[in-house]
Amino acid sequence: MARVKGGVSSRLSRMLEELQAGLEDGLVPAWIFNDPELFELEKEKIFSRSWVYLAHESEIPNPGDYVLRYVLDNPYILVRGEDGVVRALLDMCRHRGMRVCRAELGNASHFRCPFHGWTYRNDGRLIGVPAEREAFGPDFDKGQWGLVPIPRLESFDGMIFGNLDPEAPSLEEWLGDIRWYLELVTKRSPMGLEVLGPPQRWVVNTDWKLALETFLSDSYHTLMTHRSLIELGIAPKDAKYAMYGEQVHIPGKGHGSMVVGAPPGAKLPPFWGYPEEMLERARTSYPTREQFETARETRILLVTLFPNFSFHNPIRKPDHKYQGTVPMLTFRVWHPLGPGRIEIFSWALVEKDAPAWFKEKTRLSYLRFFGSSGTFEQDDTEIWSHVAHNAASTQGRHLRFNYRMGLNLAPDPNWPGPGVAYGLNFTDANMRNFHRRYLEMLLA
Amino acid sequence: MERTQALLNCLYQEAELLDEGRYREWLGLLAEDVRYQVPVRVTKERGPEGGVSGVMEGMCHLDEDYTSLEMRVARLETGFAWAEDPPSRLRHFVTNVRIGEPKPTPLGEEAEVRSNLLIFRSRWDRPDYTLLAAERRDVWRQVDGGWRLARRTVILDSATLPTHNLSFFF
Ligand code: FES
Ligand SMILES: [Fe+2]
Repeated sequence: MARVKGGVSSRLSRMLEELQAGLEDGLVPAWIFNDPELFELEKEKIFSRSWVYLAHESEIPNPGDYVLRYVLDNPYILVRGEDGVVRALLDMCRHRGMRVCRAELGNASHFRCPFHGWTYRNDGRLIGVPAEREAFGPDFDKGQWGLVPIPRLESFDGMIFGNLDPEAPSLEEWLGDIRWYLELVTKRSPMGLEVLGPPQRWVVNTDWKLALETFLSDSYHTLMTHRSLIELGIAPKDAKYAMYGEQVHIPGKGHGSMVVGAPPGAKLPPFWGYPEEMLERARTSYPTREQFETARETRILLVTLFPNFSFHNPIRKPDHKYQGTVPMLTFRVWHPLGPGRIEIFSWALVEKDAPAWFKEKTRLSYLRFFGSSGTFEQDDTEIWSHVAHNAASTQGRHLRFNYRMGLNLAPDPNWPGPGVAYGLNFTDANMRNFHRRYLEMLLA
Repeated sequence: MERTQALLNCLYQEAELLDEGRYREWLGLLAEDVRYQVPVRVTKERGPEGGVSGVMEGMCHLDEDYTSLEMRVARLETGFAWAEDPPSRLRHFVTNVRIGEPKPTPLGEEAEVRSNLLIFRSRWDRPDYTLLAAERRDVWRQVDGGWRLARRTVILDSATLPTHNLSFFF
């Protein structure tokens, strides 16, 4: 294939031109959701330069606690050292490349390589080399041969992100105004969040962007994809329930949020149905009054960070017979494995200071509606895999998808939060913004 | 021997109901206080006590009671449960059945029943399929002369699930 500037083949640059030409008109070619060459470019231009979510600090609260996480195919040990500092160390022995971490999670003061026995402290320093003198001589400098830390590691309110690009802007700058929406969850309690155990992990034959779009912008799909839950009386009777509320995006960043309220006439409790005491704490823990007021009117909140992190915080209940509501919160990483293939990492979280009964009920609400077996989510994965299959088909790949919903909608001037807001969630505005950012990074 | 045969029949009858999608009848095999769990499995080092490890206490793929299992069945009956509509072709292979000594309890006689399970799943007209292997650790209770499933813990042999959802029962 002919290579042109930036290592992009002429085939791919023609395709990217097609994406660029259609985007402002709300047209996105199907092939972007399953193309091997594009995936290689995404690895290089997007995932090697973006802030990627790795872990929540509550997963590794004590010195020596670690979890194993991935950026692309790179395994990183996310470990809290004896000094309390969290590091992300490439799980690759500096001698000959063996993995030194032998579990997905645990607690370890050091990591010993099973190949030749080099041993690293949990801060990454090489401290043991078998037969060091005889093998490597008296001048061997162990200081040069520690585990390689991820180029950048920063966190926001307990959420730990890594970046493979040493020149990347700070996480704070990367997030920009989406922080206001992130804080609706991270600052709901002064104690912050904790995970309810390790993530569920499962593989779906789809593209990371398809999964992400659903959480970023596609409230339109709920009325058909999730119709079974409406039929069962679990989702609100008004099939258009996810239409109400605000869709907001952060221009230039690719991030977006959906802030859904109650359908007119529906009797849903304010503040997602969180217990009264949590509402009271939120009153003082939110940084601004606007955030508190927004949170009080919210029944479903989604935030998606470019490129592949989402959270979903809907009003819910643990089963269809339960009287009352128990909301749930899930964090997501749409981890790209290859063209048309992802691994989902899915966590359930809750406020640290939530009452014990609530923690248990919210865990059940999560398990029964979202995640690997969730009665909502299982229908999403079914559909995503068929779309990705078609996006790679010889005829289908040339079709252009319709992203024209809300193309002429005027922004809502009264929305109290930052970003560009629309007073209706049935719009593709967040997706068009995401794809603009996506294209910009691919072409950079 | 009679009891062994009765419990084996329960497991095989259950597999038949699940393979044929007769979920209402399957609910009839469950005790009303059933607890049905599929814990998340993670890769862990071999512990000092040996054996297998990585069965997580805190997080599950499924953590169900009778009401929530009934909800899942009711969902499949709505005609809009796309994950299983069209239905997956499922085959439950049940082997290595070990039946413990029954013990009397206030709710009836209970027996631990362990079995190995292999689930074959095929969807649409594609030749590919997924396989899930697990051990089931059950407690079956004798009620009114028959046996009911009172507790099931499914010990998965996968850490990352090789299938796009768990829209079926183990
Ligand atoms: S590869 Fe790790 S010690 Fe040789
Ligand atoms: Fe969905």
